[in-house]
Amino acid sequence: MGPETRRGRYGTVVASLVAGAAVWEAAGHVASAAFWSPLSETLESVLDTVRSGFLVRQILSSFQLYLTGLALAILAGAPFGLVLARVRWLRVALENYIMMLYATPMVALIPFILSIMGFGFAPKALVVFLFAVFPVLYNTVEGARSIRPELVEIAYSFRTSEWRLWCDVLIPYTLPFTMTGIRQAIARGLVGMVAAEIFLSPSGLGQMIMMGSQNFDTPGLLAAILIIVLLGVALMDFGRFLENRVAVWRGYNR
Amino acid sequence: MTAHTLAAARPVTNGSALRAWLGSPLFLKVAAGAVLLLVWEVTVRALAPAYVAKPLGIARVFTTVISDPQFLAAAGATLGAVVSGLLISLVFGTAVGFAMGRVDLVERGLRYYVNSLFATPMVAILPLVTLWFGYSADARLAVVVFAAFFSIAVNACDGARSVPLEYLEVARSFRAPPRHNLFDIVFPSSLPYLLAGVRLAAGRALVGAVVAEFFISIPGLGYYILFNSRTFKHSEAFVAVILLVAVGVSFEILVNWLTRRYLPWARRD
Repeated sequence: MGPETRRGRYGTVVASLVAGAAVWEAAGHVASAAFWSPLSETLESVLDTVRSGFLVRQILSSFQLYLTGLALAILAGAPFGLVLARVRWLRVALENYIMMLYATPMVALIPFILSIMGFGFAPKALVVFLFAVFPVLYNTVEGARSIRPELVEIAYSFRTSEWRLWCDVLIPYTLPFTMTGIRQAIARGLVGMVAAEIFLSPSGLGQMIMMGSQNFDTPGLLAAILIIVLLGVALMDFGRFLENRVAVWRGYNR
Repeated sequence: MTAHTLAAARPVTNGSALRAWLGSPLFLKVAAGAVLLLVWEVTVRALAPAYVAKPLGIARVFTTVISDPQFLAAAGATLGAVVSGLLISLVFGTAVGFAMGRVDLVERGLRYYVNSLFATPMVAILPLVTLWFGYSADARLAVVVFAAFFSIAVNACDGARSVPLEYLEVARSFRAPPRHNLFDIVFPSSLPYLLAGVRLAAGRALVGAVVAEFFISIPGLGYYILFNSRTFKHSEAFVAVILLVAVGVSFEILVNWLTRRYLPWARRD
């Protein structure tokens, strides 16, 4: 790619972002203040929350919830998926149920969690966990199914120890799939986090959204949504980056 | 695990018919299902308050709930919104995605917006949508479209970009008009991507409809779950969850089947 086309590409992207900002600003001046607010007022609202330290507090609180749920999901999903990769009968027995839970809209369970566990941190972390664990598990099991039986047989005929079999066959073959699952879990966990913060006890960024809408503070509402959008984009890019890191050796067998 | 399933784990070597049957995938799956239900029933009985849903309780209310006109109306409202939202997203999402995939300028102009709205959790926009559409069924439809549109657009764009160049070159050398390019080359060759997009979109649309109903409190499966679990009728509420799971799973199976039957060359991802 020559410098000429690169500059052209960069130019259109900047132009599209500037145009988007201009439309946002103009819409804010045309529409009623209850429906939409100009970009300038929204950014001012972001700055206010930064200055008062409120934004940092809410983001930290959200992150604590998100990371707890996500970490538990990965710590539970990946090892269990690996066990299913090794123990064939257990995998055959459970894979349909895992697929079913993977397709279950977990939001539907939030009212049950609320009425059984009430308010507090644990039920919210459980929501993030439930959103995130099944993508990890489902994709790890998919990876387990893709291990060619010949590899395990060859390992057996060379009298491989169980430990070497895990290190040299099972984990390298399923890890790329697990990473795909983790990428999905990163995105779904964020949905779970916001849902938990809105529908269970209000906290973090979800609370900022609710405060904006209940106080008819449209700039505040848009500011909170903007921050969540940016967070979503950053997390999605991070997930893709992680997935591509391991995709290098996935290429061999796909 | 029980002794039965452990026995089934051993490879069938001495050809006994009973052993073969115990090791068959169907038996394993059914046995695992039974064990899971049993564990659920026993733990809830032992540890949780009486109102918490358990398999026998759900089985007891199941037929009454699914013949209850109120439940059927709720299911119809939710699924109707999901289907119409998916259709709207399919038409407009495909159009936007194809435009992005085939026209470089459109792609560069829209990429950041489509990608970042695709990454946005739809729960976050609920209050904004209720500001615009009020606490109405329109707001639910808007959330469903928001949830479904971007995954279809992103996949349609990938599909349109993956069209083999040779096909387009052949079409050009035969002076094919643009509509043939679009409907006879771009559309069929991006079908696998579109199906993958629809599969993703369907799951998100279902979630979108349910969260919208939680938030807006309009009749539907989500509200049915919310209302019944608040009044401690967890078994009744759980029947609605079962229906949602059944819809999600059957859609997944349908799309997989369609891909295998009509697009056998497409790799599943």
